[in-house]
Amino acid sequence: MSRPAAQLPLGPVAWTVAAFLVAALPHLVAMPPVLGVVVFALCGWRLLVARQGWRLPSGWLRLLLTIAAIALLAVSYGGLWGRRAATGMLCLMLAAKMMELSRLRDLRMVASVSLFLIASQFLFDERFVFLAYLFGGVLLALGALLRIQELDVSRRSEPRGDVALLRHSAVLLVSALPLALALWVTFPRLAEPLWGLPDEVMDGKTGLSDSMSPGSIANLFADDSPAFRAEFADEPPPPSQRYWRGPVLWRFDGDTWERAFLPSRTEAPRVPPGRNDYRYTVQLEPHERRWLFALDYPVSMPADARLSLDFQMTRRNPVTTLTEYSVRSNPDFTDMARLPVTLRQLAVSLPEDRNPRTREMASELRARFEDDRALIDHVLDWLRTEPFYYSLETAPLGRHSADEFLFDLRTGYCEYYASAFAVMMRAADIPARIVTGYQGGFWQEGGQYLLVRNSDAHAWVEVWLEGSGWTRVDPTAAVSPARIRSGARSVAGGGESLEWLRALRNRYDRLQHLWNSWVLGFDADRQQRMMTFFGLPNLSRTGMAILMAGIFGLVVLALAWAWLRQPARSRDPVRRAWLRLVRRMRRRGLGPGLGETPLAWAERVAHRLADGARFLELTRTYCALRYGDRGNEAERQRFIRAARKFPVQRAVEPRRAASV
Amino acid sequence: MAEATGSRSGTRRPNLLDRWLRRRTRLDLPLTLAYRRIFILPTRFGWMLGVLMGAMLIGSLNFNNNLGLLTTFIVAATAVNSMLLAFRNLDGLQLRHGKARPVHAGEPVEWRMAAINESARDRTGLQLDAGEAATGFDVPAESTREVSVRLPDRHRGWHRPGRLRIQTTQPLGLFRAWSWIEPTSPFLVWPKPASGPPPLPEGGDDRQGQRSQALEEGEDFHSLREWREGDPLHRIAWKASQRHQTLLSRQFRRERSREVFLSLERAPGRDLEERISIVTAWILRAEQDKRPWILEIGAKRLGPDISERHKHECLRALAEL
Repeated sequence: MSRPAAQLPLGPVAWTVAAFLVAALPHLVAMPPVLGVVVFALCGWRLLVARQGWRLPSGWLRLLLTIAAIALLAVSYGGLWGRRAATGMLCLMLAAKMMELSRLRDLRMVASVSLFLIASQFLFDERFVFLAYLFGGVLLALGALLRIQELDVSRRSEPRGDVALLRHSAVLLVSALPLALALWVTFPRLAEPLWGLPDEVMDGKTGLSDSMSPGSIANLFADDSPAFRAEFADEPPPPSQRYWRGPVLWRFDGDTWERAFLPSRTEAPRVPPGRNDYRYTVQLEPHERRWLFALDYPVSMPADARLSLDFQMTRRNPVTTLTEYSVRSNPDFTDMARLPVTLRQLAVSLPEDRNPRTREMASELRARFEDDRALIDHVLDWLRTEPFYYSLETAPLGRHSADEFLFDLRTGYCEYYASAFAVMMRAADIPARIVTGYQGGFWQEGGQYLLVRNSDAHAWVEVWLEGSGWTRVDPTAAVSPARIRSGARSVAGGGESLEWLRALRNRYDRLQHLWNSWVLGFDADRQQRMMTFFGLPNLSRTGMAILMAGIFGLVVLALAWAWLRQPARSRDPVRRAWLRLVRRMRRRGLGPGLGETPLAWAERVAHRLADGARFLELTRTYCALRYGDRGNEAERQRFIRAARKFPVQRAVEPRRAASV
Repeated sequence: MAEATGSRSGTRRPNLLDRWLRRRTRLDLPLTLAYRRIFILPTRFGWMLGVLMGAMLIGSLNFNNNLGLLTTFIVAATAVNSMLLAFRNLDGLQLRHGKARPVHAGEPVEWRMAAINESARDRTGLQLDAGEAATGFDVPAESTREVSVRLPDRHRGWHRPGRLRIQTTQPLGLFRAWSWIEPTSPFLVWPKPASGPPPLPEGGDDRQGQRSQALEEGEDFHSLREWREGDPLHRIAWKASQRHQTLLSRQFRRERSREVFLSLERAPGRDLEERISIVTAWILRAEQDKRPWILEIGAKRLGPDISERHKHECLRALAEL
């Protein structure tokens, strides 16, 4: 079955290469371009080899090229660790395999690993549109396997055309769907992953990070992809209350805000349920971090999440797939009526040698205002009245970032305001911390859910006040109320002419939302709920497995029936008529024996029929029509009529009568 | 009659399997491939894809990646379908008329049978596997095809083709469905002719010695010899005599006079096998030379004759020794 290299014909090679390239396409797009070029070059070259009948390169050259390609990969990814590097490696190895694609086994290997590539792409992106990728990729891979199979069995007939192969492959794919869906619904899901993933930056996109220095969120504003979607059991909160809390940052070294050990490692106190609680379900897009987003202050939350003292909700494992969780939040809770000394120290500490002008202004204000609240109001007022501008296009800040921003630049966005404001507060000895997360979101009227995009990323400040505990203050709101009222989009530009495009996108997002809810969010929990709906509550994992096996068996039986049932009526009407007659004869116990020719059969059974002579005559006509010249249409019709009308009746058999 | 070899030469399968197979089904032709006769197992590629599917399953399950799972299950469902389709490709196929033309030992045996597809579906990518050689064939809907396969070389005598396999890995090469057949109708392998046999024995049979010694008159010109007294005048080859300066007369011989007597006992050769193969070669030579021959094996005497049937009888007698 192994053939020499030059003899692998173009057809199967082209199919295999096409299946591989389609499966690898999203991977290649995410890879450094140079690797994509290498993969395409190798594939193109292999096609040329098959076309021109060139020889494949020697083992040494192959090894050398493969090592070079892997080295290139290692250099571009800074190592061979991580999912992207792993799938990139797989793509490169398959492309390198092109150099020694010389046997059927190799072709099959490439085609089947293409299926693996398709599945692994969904670790990165499983949006609705990728369904097309799934079906397209599987279709081509199956087509390639069909084409390879034609090469395997030495057939006398000519290989089929590409369209016929594609059609066959589509039939296979469609007929696989019932069983695949049955398995998909019933296969027991893991409630806990077996192993976690290392934190990894997603494809150059960045979600919120766990530190903040002014200027770092800017690239998020350009990212219009959804961060999460939230469905509310009751009314959604008003736009000014839609602060989705993410990482809370305490420590400031003059440039960067970071999380602090103590508050993020200590358990939060229990929040009692209140009267104005929000109950909502969040569908979080994968962002490779551990934290989940919630409104202030979570009363209840998913089982695998924990809440830290500063009300950051984190999960044990990074969010690598679409994750759905339900939260109940009490907005009226007082966070920390008394502030412990250690935390107070943490929340007022500032690097001594930075931002002298801000410090000076803060100490002036401190002298003027006894009351913290009055001081804060004054600063907000100052921001509002002085010529501060909200803009994404601004300059980077230097060593005295707060000074430069508050007194010189005066143009920036949430991070600039939050950072400078928090520095001012701390300089005035008011405990302050920065909270990053998302603010606002687009209320999808049609879908009844809140869509929060990455461009809704936001940073605000919380100050600790006697009596009301940690209190949210959003300096950005003072400068640009529109940002808070109608979202980042309203200030980030974007012409009115693109209104229809935005409407289209919102509509598409609704589809995506349905997809997320029904397909991607289908997990152990939802499976359990579905089983409860079908009247099978508290089904254990084993029970689920038994149920799956049962349904699997049923579907396979149905498939077997569909595939194996007598088809397929004959294409020849004369033959159909004959077969009907044979069936009728068989019912009377006069069927033909195995391997008996029609004539021999007819001669054998004629004497047992009431009208044996006519049957013999009919059989002769049939043989003439089918095996001789095919006769004209009138003769054929006459035979069909005669066969249909022939009365199958046993002759009276005296012998049998006697023996009874 | 030589013992017909039941199982495939070379590797003997465990008897357990043989016994089980025989108890389970009839393996002789004619038969219709059906449920109890058809076995299915994954091919090597099938196992490989299975392992790959396992990896896909665990990976997707771990990250609760629903599209990854869907892909995995589509592949798995395709595999299940491909198993059913492989089965369907054999199910209902009728096999009949297993036979082979006799050949000499050492020559390849072409064993043939008829494959009949009565269903309205084409059956493609079938294979008749005889261990060392296999033949691929298709049987279109409602038609019959003759399939032949090369069997391994056999010793002289009666043989059965042994256990053959009808198999298919359609449509994707993931599963191999197969059926064993063990046709009982034997075929004959003639002895192998010796490669450099001695010339045909002239004479040797006492009863006929006189006749074969003396050249008999006939119509066919044979040779020239020096004229002897008693040669009739019309026999003198005048032209040749003139060239050779001596009188030459033409010799005629009749075909009948060239009858050979082949005796197994008297054939040269160290052992029986060698003698058999020399006699076989003689028979073929005699046939080629168009000389009738008589074959004597022990007390049995065949011929004289020169017909095809006679040859077959002789070769068969030798093969069956």
